[in-house]
Amino acid sequence: MRQVTATVISNAEVMPQVHLLWLEAPGMAAAARPGQFVMARCGTGHDPLLRRPLSVHRVDGGQRLALLVGVAGRGTGWLSYRRKGDVVDLLGPLGNGFSIRTAARSLLLVAGGIGVAPLVFLAEEALRSGRAVSLVVGARSASGLYPRSLLPSGASVVEVTEDGSEGLRGMAVDHIDGCVGRAEQVFACGPATMYRSMAGKECLTGEPVQISLETMMGCGLGACYGCATRTRTGMRMVCHDGPVFELDDVIW
Amino acid sequence: MNLAVQLAPNHPRGLLLKNPVMTASGTFGYGTEYGELVDIQRLGAIVCKGTTLAPREGNPQPRLVETPSGLLNSIGLQNIGVEALVRERAALWASWQVPVIVNIAGEAVEEYSAVAARLDGVAGVSAVEVNVGCPNVKSGGMEFGRDPKGAAAVTEAVRAATSLPVIVKLTPNVTDIVEIALAVSQAGADALCLINTLKGMAIDTAARRPALGNIHGGLSGPAIKPVALSMVYQVAGRVSIPIIGCGGISAAEDALEFLMAGASAVEVGTFQFVNPRALLDVLEGIEAFLEREGLSDLSGIIGAARR
Repeated sequence: MRQVTATVISNAEVMPQVHLLWLEAPGMAAAARPGQFVMARCGTGHDPLLRRPLSVHRVDGGQRLALLVGVAGRGTGWLSYRRKGDVVDLLGPLGNGFSIRTAARSLLLVAGGIGVAPLVFLAEEALRSGRAVSLVVGARSASGLYPRSLLPSGASVVEVTEDGSEGLRGMAVDHIDGCVGRAEQVFACGPATMYRSMAGKECLTGEPVQISLETMMGCGLGACYGCATRTRTGMRMVCHDGPVFELDDVIW
Repeated sequence: MNLAVQLAPNHPRGLLLKNPVMTASGTFGYGTEYGELVDIQRLGAIVCKGTTLAPREGNPQPRLVETPSGLLNSIGLQNIGVEALVRERAALWASWQVPVIVNIAGEAVEEYSAVAARLDGVAGVSAVEVNVGCPNVKSGGMEFGRDPKGAAAVTEAVRAATSLPVIVKLTPNVTDIVEIALAVSQAGADALCLINTLKGMAIDTAARRPALGNIHGGLSGPAIKPVALSMVYQVAGRVSIPIIGCGGISAAEDALEFLMAGASAVEVGTFQFVNPRALLDVLEGIEAFLEREGLSDLSGIIGAARR
């Protein structure tokens, strides 16, 4: 974990109100593993005050790191206005990250909305190690789907939209039944509602499912206890003990 | 240059810090969390997470809400309890140069004294800081710290239960901070820490309900600095024991304001989340200021704005 002043290489609005930022972050990019996150300072003054946690979206060699910034307020808004050559103060990589079992050769990745962010990095790593990757990506409508051209080419992709404007209609979780059987390990990232419906799904019962929790954070280092979540093994810090947890470990 | 400060001049062992820059309780965990980013041995002291007799799970989520230049929290004193602290944390602290001060809290006078007694003689613990004002726990600290008698009763009980130096951290959520400070000082506190968080709330208008799970929380961050500074200034002229200034410090300039208002040391809290180097920036900034002013120690600075 380190603090770096990262220089913006590019910024593109890849979906409405979602920006793909590539940053020069030597050291941090080399150390980052899929599922880990960074705390980005959103400005240089006192307001907005806190850093924002953002999943590491991709890395390129040991130098460059991408963040997928969904504009949710003033902090992420500030990040979305960064232009080439601007700098962003980052802290990271933080958290535990996903862990692919050595024996798992075939993976199912389920993304809800902006939750696609850490799964693209995971898919790239898994494909690089010769694993098969099925990626189910869900969004409200076609414009909210992560651009197909940016997805790793080796993954088998299923697109789902709530309004049926592209791909299958419904929620991402509605369309995983067929894939679960073939997968030896399941990973998901999305809103809490998605995890709740996953927790109730028969096809996932007894399956090892790793999920990444998104929450408001204070420090990002396990010092402030602001992001504590209740698990079957007690109170855990999303920032320090997570953000990746086993689906059946979290008490919903 | 000598930045040393004595925070417990009336105590037989004293509490000598090599510099006046301390961490504020609840923002620095147990001292190890920031180790990869900050050379903690350079700090004046570390004040650890508020500790109670039994472990506590804390309040329901949401526990944090950002406000303009501020942070509302209602952590609810989640902590591992004093037994686990002594068993799992103190041995490491004993190997550190930087003194560790344990912040203690309780729901009854007896709980405060039991925690203080358990910490007495534990290697690695240099002092206790008594939280008489955490506004988050419904049945907790607030009641003691809001009333001079309650605050004095806790102070006396802790004083009697331990041979460690006793710092009492006051809540600002009172009508007359001077009255409370005098009562605590007379009850045997070695030093005062001003201030704890200000009680506040926010409402989630989309959900039409309070934004914090516990409804109310404590406000910290740069937004509260003028309030904290005013309270330090008011109290510094009335008590003879050292004061630690705390509340909204983000840079050396803020710390210098507290010192000039009459504080002997400062605690930096929330802003560490923003700038993990904030403590070292404050320390280096104080050094640079003294050098610029041609001063060799802090005596020319402490209380300078009162003269």
